[in-house]
Amino acid sequence: MENNKLIESFFEDMRKADQSLDVAAFPETKTRKTNWFIPVGVAASFMLAGFLFFEKEPEVKAPAEVIIITLEQGPNHKQQFKIEESTYLETWESSTSSLLTEF
Amino acid sequence: MNRKSLEHLLHSHHREAFIWSRQCCGFDSDLAKDVLQLTYLKILEGKAKLNDASKAKTWLFSIIRYTAIDELRRAGKIIALDENQELIDLPEEVDYTDYDAIIKMLPSMQQQVILMVFYHQMTIEQSAEVLQIQLGTARTHYARGKKKLKELILKSQTEANHGK
Repeated sequence: MENNKLIESFFEDMRKADQSLDVAAFPETKTRKTNWFIPVGVAASFMLAGFLFFEKEPEVKAPAEVIIITLEQGPNHKQQFKIEESTYLETWESSTSSLLTEF
Repeated sequence: MNRKSLEHLLHSHHREAFIWSRQCCGFDSDLAKDVLQLTYLKILEGKAKLNDASKAKTWLFSIIRYTAIDELRRAGKIIALDENQELIDLPEEVDYTDYDAIIKMLPSMQQQVILMVFYHQMTIEQSAEVLQIQLGTARTHYARGKKKLKELILKSQTEANHGK
């Protein structure tokens, strides 16, 4: 169409003139690099702290057995050894302990 | 669409996007740069999403146009005009080589439809999508804009011939 040719020619000239336009440079977009070592470091610190905090204290195991050997006077005034086995010493008192204080 | 694809898309349309931004900003290159920067930010930050890759250009043009309207409004440069405002009188002097000035003599909507169709090689349907108006309305702006522009071109050519 004649009508369009006139307008098309106008825009052709306009485009040529716009060739000299100072087009802004494409802005550099900074990719947000994830500093993944930061969260990993924080996580590792928490894990270490948790490990130390919740670490079980070594249990002090009671000796499997305690052998108590006492020398007692038996019938006929004969000395004899008495051997007892126990798992704890709380209630046991040496029968000769009085010798330490009463002399 | 991931960030890298979007960057590639914007890069490939950059020159045309800048020119469209300038046209939406009343041919103000500095404001056009700011508008384009804001447009890219909106896109790369995911505030504007492209659903159909085949409509990338109309999508980009639409965002640029709305960003330009916001910026012009903020700068107090936008004048509320009736969309159907017509150019009643032709100016006394029209310089054919002052293309921007000739385009600016058209009402805003006619300017944009005409620029999209003749300058950016888009269809009237695509320009209607960018302007978010009905196809029939876009066709009306196209026909009226073309008529006015032809008058302005002829007037400028006549003046140029008389001036020789």
